[in-house]
Amino acid sequence: MTASGSWHSLALHPAGETVRTINPRATIDTVQEALSALAGRYRGDEVLTAVRHFPAREAKFVAMPDWVRPELAAAYRSKGIEQLFSHQGAAAELARSGKNFVVVTPTASGKTLCYNLPVLNAILEDADTRALYLFPTKALAQDQLAELQDLATRLDDCFGVFTYDGDTPSDARKAVRERGHVILTNPDMLHTGILPHHTKWTRVFENLKYVVLDELHTYRGVFGSHLANVLRRLARIAEFYGSRPQFICCSATIANPGELAKQLIEREVEAVAENGAPAAEKLFVFYNPPMVNRNLGIRRSYLNETTRVAKELLARKLQTIVFANSRLHTEVLLTYLQQANRPQPGQEEPVRGYRGGYLPGERREIERGLREGRVRGVVATNALELGIDIGSLDAAVMAGYAGSIAATWQRAGRAGRRSDASCAVLVASSAPLDQFIVQHPDYFFGRSPEHAYVQPDNLEILINHLKCAAFELPLSPDERIGAVDLAQLCERLAEAGYLHRSGGNWHWLQQAYPADTVSLRSVTSDNFVIIDVTGKSDVSGENDGEPEVIGEVDFSSALTTVHPKAIYIHQGQQYHVERLDFEQRKAYVKRVNVDYFTDAVRYTQVRVLEIAEEESIAGPAARAHGDVLVRSQVVGFKKIKFFTNENVGAGKLELPENEMHTTAFWITLERELLAGLPFALSDRQSGIFGLLYALESMATLLLMCDRRDLGTAVGERPAGPGIETEWQEFTTAMSDMSQMKEFFEPSLYLYDAYPGGIGFSEPLFRVHDLLLRRTRELIAACPCEQGCPSCVGPVGEKSERAKEAALKILERLRA
Amino acid sequence: MSDTTLDRFSRVKALQRPPNGTPPRATSSMAAKAFDIRESAVGVPRGFSPNIPEGAERLAELLGAAALRNEFGEHLALRKWFSDVADRVKTDCSPLGHGLADESVDASALGLLMPDAPREVADPRQWLFLDTETTGIMGGSGTYAFMVGIAWWDAGGLEVEQFFMRDHSEEHALLLTLAERMAERHVLVTFNGKSFDWPLLETRYRMTRTLRPPAPRAHLDFLHPARNLWRLRIGSVRLQELERHVLGWNRGADVASEFIPEIYFDFLRGGSPEPLVPIFLHNQMDLRGLAALSSRIVALLSETERAGRDGFELFGLSRICERRGEAKRARKHFEQALAADELPPGTDRVARRSLARMAKREGDFSRARDLWEGMLGSSQEGLEAYEQLAIYYERHIREPQRAASISRDALSELQRARRLGTIARGACQKLRERFEHRLARLERKAGRLPLESILVESSAPARESDRTGKERTSRARIG
Repeated sequence: MTASGSWHSLALHPAGETVRTINPRATIDTVQEALSALAGRYRGDEVLTAVRHFPAREAKFVAMPDWVRPELAAAYRSKGIEQLFSHQGAAAELARSGKNFVVVTPTASGKTLCYNLPVLNAILEDADTRALYLFPTKALAQDQLAELQDLATRLDDCFGVFTYDGDTPSDARKAVRERGHVILTNPDMLHTGILPHHTKWTRVFENLKYVVLDELHTYRGVFGSHLANVLRRLARIAEFYGSRPQFICCSATIANPGELAKQLIEREVEAVAENGAPAAEKLFVFYNPPMVNRNLGIRRSYLNETTRVAKELLARKLQTIVFANSRLHTEVLLTYLQQANRPQPGQEEPVRGYRGGYLPGERREIERGLREGRVRGVVATNALELGIDIGSLDAAVMAGYAGSIAATWQRAGRAGRRSDASCAVLVASSAPLDQFIVQHPDYFFGRSPEHAYVQPDNLEILINHLKCAAFELPLSPDERIGAVDLAQLCERLAEAGYLHRSGGNWHWLQQAYPADTVSLRSVTSDNFVIIDVTGKSDVSGENDGEPEVIGEVDFSSALTTVHPKAIYIHQGQQYHVERLDFEQRKAYVKRVNVDYFTDAVRYTQVRVLEIAEEESIAGPAARAHGDVLVRSQVVGFKKIKFFTNENVGAGKLELPENEMHTTAFWITLERELLAGLPFALSDRQSGIFGLLYALESMATLLLMCDRRDLGTAVGERPAGPGIETEWQEFTTAMSDMSQMKEFFEPSLYLYDAYPGGIGFSEPLFRVHDLLLRRTRELIAACPCEQGCPSCVGPVGEKSERAKEAALKILERLRA
Repeated sequence: MSDTTLDRFSRVKALQRPPNGTPPRATSSMAAKAFDIRESAVGVPRGFSPNIPEGAERLAELLGAAALRNEFGEHLALRKWFSDVADRVKTDCSPLGHGLADESVDASALGLLMPDAPREVADPRQWLFLDTETTGIMGGSGTYAFMVGIAWWDAGGLEVEQFFMRDHSEEHALLLTLAERMAERHVLVTFNGKSFDWPLLETRYRMTRTLRPPAPRAHLDFLHPARNLWRLRIGSVRLQELERHVLGWNRGADVASEFIPEIYFDFLRGGSPEPLVPIFLHNQMDLRGLAALSSRIVALLSETERAGRDGFELFGLSRICERRGEAKRARKHFEQALAADELPPGTDRVARRSLARMAKREGDFSRARDLWEGMLGSSQEGLEAYEQLAIYYERHIREPQRAASISRDALSELQRARRLGTIARGACQKLRERFEHRLARLERKAGRLPLESILVESSAPARESDRTGKERTSRARIG
């Protein structure tokens, strides 16, 4: 059952619904009690940086529209839904009027009804109608399948609903194509399995009226840019069969859902933002582990603190879900909590783990245990973040920030999905984002500042999809795809031997099947495979036994993660890289158990190729964005001890240079600005690098991206664009400050870490003021004295006045 | 497009030609791996539309082909009549003659090929052999059938017609011609065409949005019968291999299938037409091979045995009969296959097992027992034989001691198989449990008073079936 059904059924108290024993108020009181027990040992305000109380909110109802077919209205009525929440009503009317729209709703607000109602109504009116639902993961599609099958049963199975993904057995696929009115799939399957074989889907495409995109906010960055192109291909094919589907999108709360939807589907989009669903009372708490070393900015381990919080809640009989950001942390937390909560003799384990890698049967069993209350606690990764019905828990504890506000709310929403009071506790790690969030609760609780961006015209991505498009249907010179010159691109693809022009159109001219080599989750398909040769005498792994491939890394991160002698961590297991075969794209590793990890030292040089926009700002300084060429080389690595972050060794490496053409945003500090700073040269330089470190943290926050999606570099201001000057001097992670050359007019680059750029640079240029202001807040609010990993980076690598200098520069920039 | 964009474009890695066995480059640098263009084929951009490659005319001359015109345009067509399918093929077999050209297909063979076949199938004059040459083997809407060859029995020989699109723009016309030819003969005959050629052509028809895919009244595909008859002996069931080993043909120089798409691409890009000629010959040979092979298969499947059959073919034939539910014929051919005494041990055991199962089903226990006794061993079939024998002695002969001793032999056989590693751990475990269970029961039974054993016997289902759920239930009830 999904949120929509459960909400309503509870609102109406149908017979059979279990009445919970804990009354709502009691949950809040119990949590308060647990919190004071925790905070009692420290100075409370420092540990509990925010305790927000969200009172219950009444539902806003509207009547079921009169155009809804009586049998459909009856089916919903039999599920306990007599009227609609106001946003569902608005969505239904927009769908009815043929508009494309996006519904922005928090977890458990009945969003699935927003698309199921209009789509099923259309199918009931015309049995030829077909709809395609896209979910970012297979699990989400499975979850929706259950809801739709329930509705189908209530409607005498007058429509067919099927999932179509990699798990669909090949003998069932034909039936899905022929009998499915609603097809639930994912972008990857659409890309490799459906579009290239569209002639088998004639009936679906001829009658395709609706395309539903759920979890729209997940389609950002690389994945989103790919999806936009997959949707371009979908639109072409639909047009070929004479249909023009309407798009219905659902998104978690982000700052620009309408803009994102418009970029993805390239049509006008209306947004429904008002939420008419009721909400139960909720307590949201930020918990910052206490400082143990103020100088170094070291806090108590957030994993231990998470365990303590969860223990306190479990001890008070609150059913609790604990989220960790990695599989390894899941297992660590699970071990701690199981030790503290031993089962009663003859009873089952009260605390369970849940993550990818568990078998489906085991997962279903845990889900059932949670719903029935037998399982009192669960430690999960984001595998449980979305969709899957585990009933309503009392509390959610998050070990570390989930990476975005939207994801954090989704995790928090796993507690109290229905009508009972609940609480959510975010335990911050010492990562800059975590620290920023817990120290700036208003940033989190205010209007969402997170933007999702895509760059559908990224040439690297677009050309790959152009090939797929030509395979699917010859490209006509009259077509328009994005803002690119299609004819010219096709001409070049023809010259490269991919296409052939005939009868005015470009036809595919390769034996290969282009979609197979294009992954929607990365820009290029070039990657390294990691081969475990533990126990093999021969490092090449070729002579005895079967070496096992344990994973792969994409090209861009291979040099920093699997260089020779690196410690590569995979599913919590450490591996030592024995050999990197660059030509064959293979890394041979052996299992080890060491107390350090490695950090690659990379030199990065940036050359500006073209400035798209440039503007003088206070400082004096300038901000700009444009095309750049990034040349980087991994020249060595450092061994860093776990927990203490001590540097315990280093090594030199000779690896090939890597060049990438991408886009960047940069700030150039003019000579006058630096000259006016009351610092020694090394302090000034440290301040510049510290500032860049903090800028990167804030940029990832604003762009909802990962730290690895952005690259940073500092270089001397170029004499002019395109001028063949010396390569700019480099580096972000120089361990030896004395070797650093003095910058006169440094440029601080934040570049897209993907060939061709992924659309971050221009938005950063636009939100420049906000970026600087937030960066200043991050550094200023950090309680460390001289800089720490939570603000300007670890102090060991920088001068003692780095933090001070960074703040001074920001002050000059009027942040 | 700005200069920079173009500049960037020129560096885009995605434009690289796909690696043809060349090792990947040492860097992902876009600059370093600018275009990897085939200099030769580019030249001056060609005219707008339609651009038939320059070599097309010479190709027609080389082949003696002519352009065929219809309402959708033109395409190349080539017709050739062969008085004998094996005409000018080096062969060490006696000629097959004209195969099926003049007579209707034997009903017994047809029943095995296609049960409930429409009337037309029995008439070889309705058969249209078809084979395509394509731009890839992956399927999907971007794979083209640039050559479609068809053939039919005519005037005591085989008429072969080939359609060729000199450019993508001729596809429409080609598909229309094909549809017209298919309307004249209603039975489509292919080799692996059910899963490859025909779906691909259907896709091509759908891509036109104007031409409906032709709907043959029946589609006979000879891949599966061929696989049954010859895979065991020949290993491969590629058409060329079958020609060589079944028909004794030697094609001589033939173009390898994997090069065909590239040869066509080169021609489209303006390359010379000469390399296409072998593709026409290859396609002709495929059609002639298919025609000859289909005659051979029909002959082998006929109840009235016209061609000699070897042990493998008899074994394959009995499997086909078995699958079609013709138990009597299947048993006959299994016996013949065993009598031919040329099956390798593994196949021989499979044949014996099938025969034993049939004999048991028919109540011919003495034949079944002989077969079981002849195949005892550590193989899958050998172990099954132990089990069947044990059941036989326990249930039919009522000699629990004998059944127990067979079960004990089976257990030691199992142990040996496990030691030799010829049986998987899981399968071994399962079998061992079954035999141990049986043994325990038999030993209990042996120790009981006769009356008691009769009482227990009557409360259990009278008969055990082969390793089915029933058997497990019955055991559970007894235990």
